[in-house]
Amino acid sequence: MKLMKPQAIITAITILTAGLFNVGLQGSDTISFLKTTCVNCHQGDEAAGNLNFAQFRNPKDLLAQPQLLLDILTAIDTSLMPPQDSDRLPKDSRQSAVKNFRELLHAAIQVSPPAKPVPIRRMTRFQYSNAVRDLFGLKIVVFTLPEQMVREYGNYYQPSTGKMPDVVTVGNRPLGKSQLIEPRLTGVTPYPQDLRAEHGFDNQADQLSMSPLLLQQFMELSRSILHAPNFNNKTVGVWNEVFAVPETEISEWDGSIANRLKMILTLAFREEVSETTVKRFAEYARTLIDSGADFTTAMKNTVAAILASPRFFYLHDHADPQFTIASRLSFFLWGSIPDQALLASAEKNELTTTAILESHVDRMLLDRKSKRFCDSFPRQWLQLDNIISSAPDPEIYHQFYFARYNTSMHMAIEPLLLFETVLIEDKSILQFIHSDFSYRSATLKTWYAKADKIQHSGPGTLKFERVPIMDMRQGGMITNTAIMTMTSASDHTKPITRGAWFAATILHSPPKPPPADVPTIDRKANAADENLTIREQLAIHRDNASCAGCHKTIDPLGFALENFDPVGQWREQYENGKPVNASGILYNQHAFDGIVQLKSALLTEQERFAYAFSEHLLSFALGRRTTYRDTISLEQVVKQAGQNNYQIKTVIKNLVLSPAFLQVGQAPVGNQLSIKGSASD
Amino acid sequence: MTRATRRQFLQGAAGTTLALPLFESLAAGKDTMSRPRQRMAIYYIPMGVVRKGFFPGEEETLLPKFNGATTKAIGIERSVGTKAFEHLTPTQEPLKPIKNKVSFISGLDRTYKQGTDVHAQCGSCFLSSATMESVTESAFPLDRTFDHIIADSIGSQTPFRTLTLSCNSHQDNKESIHFDNISWYGTGHVTPSIRDVRQAYRRLFGTQAQGDFRDITDLVLEDAKELQRDLNKRDQDKFEEYFDGIRSLEIQIERLEGMRDEIKAADIDLPADALLPRGEYIRTMGDIMVTALQTGLTNVATLMIGPERWNTPYLFDSLFDKPMSHHTMTHAPHKFVNELLQIDKFYMQQYVYICQRMDSIIEFDGSTLLDNTIFTYGSGLGDGTTHQFNDLPIVMAGGQQLGVKQGQHTHVPDKTPLANLFLTQAQLLGIELDAFADSTTTISDMKR
Repeated sequence: MKLMKPQAIITAITILTAGLFNVGLQGSDTISFLKTTCVNCHQGDEAAGNLNFAQFRNPKDLLAQPQLLLDILTAIDTSLMPPQDSDRLPKDSRQSAVKNFRELLHAAIQVSPPAKPVPIRRMTRFQYSNAVRDLFGLKIVVFTLPEQMVREYGNYYQPSTGKMPDVVTVGNRPLGKSQLIEPRLTGVTPYPQDLRAEHGFDNQADQLSMSPLLLQQFMELSRSILHAPNFNNKTVGVWNEVFAVPETEISEWDGSIANRLKMILTLAFREEVSETTVKRFAEYARTLIDSGADFTTAMKNTVAAILASPRFFYLHDHADPQFTIASRLSFFLWGSIPDQALLASAEKNELTTTAILESHVDRMLLDRKSKRFCDSFPRQWLQLDNIISSAPDPEIYHQFYFARYNTSMHMAIEPLLLFETVLIEDKSILQFIHSDFSYRSATLKTWYAKADKIQHSGPGTLKFERVPIMDMRQGGMITNTAIMTMTSASDHTKPITRGAWFAATILHSPPKPPPADVPTIDRKANAADENLTIREQLAIHRDNASCAGCHKTIDPLGFALENFDPVGQWREQYENGKPVNASGILYNQHAFDGIVQLKSALLTEQERFAYAFSEHLLSFALGRRTTYRDTISLEQVVKQAGQNNYQIKTVIKNLVLSPAFLQVGQAPVGNQLSIKGSASD
Repeated sequence: MTRATRRQFLQGAAGTTLALPLFESLAAGKDTMSRPRQRMAIYYIPMGVVRKGFFPGEEETLLPKFNGATTKAIGIERSVGTKAFEHLTPTQEPLKPIKNKVSFISGLDRTYKQGTDVHAQCGSCFLSSATMESVTESAFPLDRTFDHIIADSIGSQTPFRTLTLSCNSHQDNKESIHFDNISWYGTGHVTPSIRDVRQAYRRLFGTQAQGDFRDITDLVLEDAKELQRDLNKRDQDKFEEYFDGIRSLEIQIERLEGMRDEIKAADIDLPADALLPRGEYIRTMGDIMVTALQTGLTNVATLMIGPERWNTPYLFDSLFDKPMSHHTMTHAPHKFVNELLQIDKFYMQQYVYICQRMDSIIEFDGSTLLDNTIFTYGSGLGDGTTHQFNDLPIVMAGGQQLGVKQGQHTHVPDKTPLANLFLTQAQLLGIELDAFADSTTTISDMKR
């Protein structure tokens, strides 16, 4: 930690003691709560869950354990603890305990060591492709990427209109026919796709590393882009400003070269570049011209060197935090480099002003470049890539297969169009739990209706129509055929997989991996078992204490979805005639029978979903996992968004304004101390 | 940055020498080698063949009508086993002068995985090491291809681990990369291939290209140092990965420079024109491939003669009066059977040319380059019209010094995967591999 000035130290100590004084009351309440309610099970060497609370004698002990405080808080808040079989906690006691633990947590965060900054990392190919495109104003793509699943036809994505058309034409790039064929730079090959981090995204900084092979690809990529036969005045928006021969005399070219390179360098490196840097590249261009290259070729080779520079394809904290914020914002909402307007604000130190930040977020979300956000975040949030390998049994589900393609091509589009619409029309994120509309192709309409003959279409371009949803079994992100199919095996559903997906995606509470010695389900174990439903077979999850710990919360979520068969169609009973039992309880409070009641229960617990969703969004925006420190920011986001019905743009805006987003290095932008709320502000 | 400072830079921060892989000049290597190096090469033709011209006994079978997804596979019952390769069908006729150095293997199958275009899958997965279930992140059952698996063993000492060439000279981006590539580092990670003969020449034999690369290296290293100054300690540690990468690239260039004499001695000139008639284009690429194998620039090479599907027409070296599209013709075989047979024979002729070039190069122990190379001709489709994945056209040349038995026609039992052939080749190349893709066993008749 940097050496603080004496004034600052005194201030810090004042804060510390003030903080401690403030938590004095709550602190002693939390200690007494633990003593009276928890310590019976949670003490000594045999402490339940290895959590020994008896060791905490006074609040100071707890202040040093913010992660534990968060865990305790969550457990009490979701009624996971105290366990069902012991005396129920009265509602007001629970609420007051939650309040006390939350305040103690906040105090603990203030005195905890500062967060480690997000490490330097290279761009993913998705980011690289967008960055190059924006840098040159390319009218074609750099390379076609299957991870950009929804291919847009007819420019339907118009966020500035605030409206998604009723009918859209799309293609499914990885699963459709010939949807990866689009105008692109000839001879340019992409490097491999980065896989998602565990329960996370592909842009997580600690996962993105370099290798010699990859570096060679970056070097060759830079050259192949600039020397692609169709990288010319027709495809390159900035051709005249950068590559075309200047109108001036040859003797005055040097000035022109320097200006042009300065412009490109500023955009490419996302910060103010020194005269030394500009000169270095300008001299290179001059050398090329002097050895016989024509102007355009010299500029191409020089710009290729800019693309080959690590200052282009590495994302990192900049010396001036304003530029760090600018890049963070553009890579969040556009998956790409900042534009001139954003860089200009950074240059003027404006990106600490709330109003300016908000105006940038507004205009960026209205820009068609926000499609990159839609191409990246929702697919990963929903783990939708799993649909790619879904292979329902062709004997049982033969209509899933037509021509040489799979119905998953249609299925995957539905949740992604739902997301795009919620963003464009600034709807509430609660639509992700239940939506009163969806977008479906004729194939999906007949699929949901369980028609005898599915109306197949495609496999190239697909037509999707807006349809109203009246039936609460449908709508939202949870119950669509894509999610239901991808969480199933070829001939049976996998309720634990579904429960785990639900917990991770909707509640941001992914279960820990199972212990190593769990036996697999032997579905043909004995004749008696054949008559059991899968729920009954999994009864051991309830009966065995060491299983129940996790499965108590995962299983009900999966069983609630048992009415959806392996291809997402509704069923009342299994093949063996036994009826589906989709009952359960959420947070030990909301008993439900079926998915409709579960969805209703979730909607009454809106803050939890909003918190979970914001947490996913924050992890995506910052390229790191969330930690207990982010609790304060996330609570603020949920509170503010709640005042505006959790409309998605309000969520995003408040996220951008939160301390977590604006923190640079070890201190928030514009604040010298690592502890917030200093008296010297 | 001068040469001297780059050298210092490459030696690492504290002046300690990096643990570099040992580079041996090839001349020194030759003296200590007991036998010539073993090589592997692939010659891939798109759109399969017209069966009645290629497969013996099928001369009288009816041409299929194209029906898309439901077109039935064609072929005949053949007896399993190996006999001398005596009878040559019309498409195989060009093999006559080298009949005793090639073998014909019929009955090999691949499995089509529903969910992608057949052309895209037949080409991109032809050399794939994936089983049907092993790949979940792509609709294609595509994983690290055979050339890379081989190169992992026999390519580690050569400047280029593999050489990936293509004779797709189309500029019109009509298809996506799955139609246009047979070599992949892994799922979704294509090996960029060289299509331009002059670019191939420069990359392999020219030192001018390396010079260009070095100019950029100087610039980017300056940028890297500037960036490093702005980073905190943790990031500086992580950023070391960048400098490690640059060092590796420099090593590769140094290896090539060390081989300058060998390369100068190689009998090959810079091709005069970039645009060549098709046959000359394929033969020039073949010459480049042969020279690269001969001089030890690489031990593993793939040559994709043309992309799958991709309707843009060619003249095919004046075979036709006007440009014709191979793929389009396969959809109307009754109308174009003669033209299709001409193309099939044309592609076989170029394969034979390359085989003969290899056979004309004498190694230090008196054997030829062909004797030390397993060189396979094949396609991912058993027929361009039915788009069948079974009963593929496969011819294998060379490798007699490696223990390959030549001059025979082997017909394998029903449902024998193509992977069995590749597994056998890998073992003949001295690589300990128990399985490859969906292989079941090896083809013992291939071995001496």
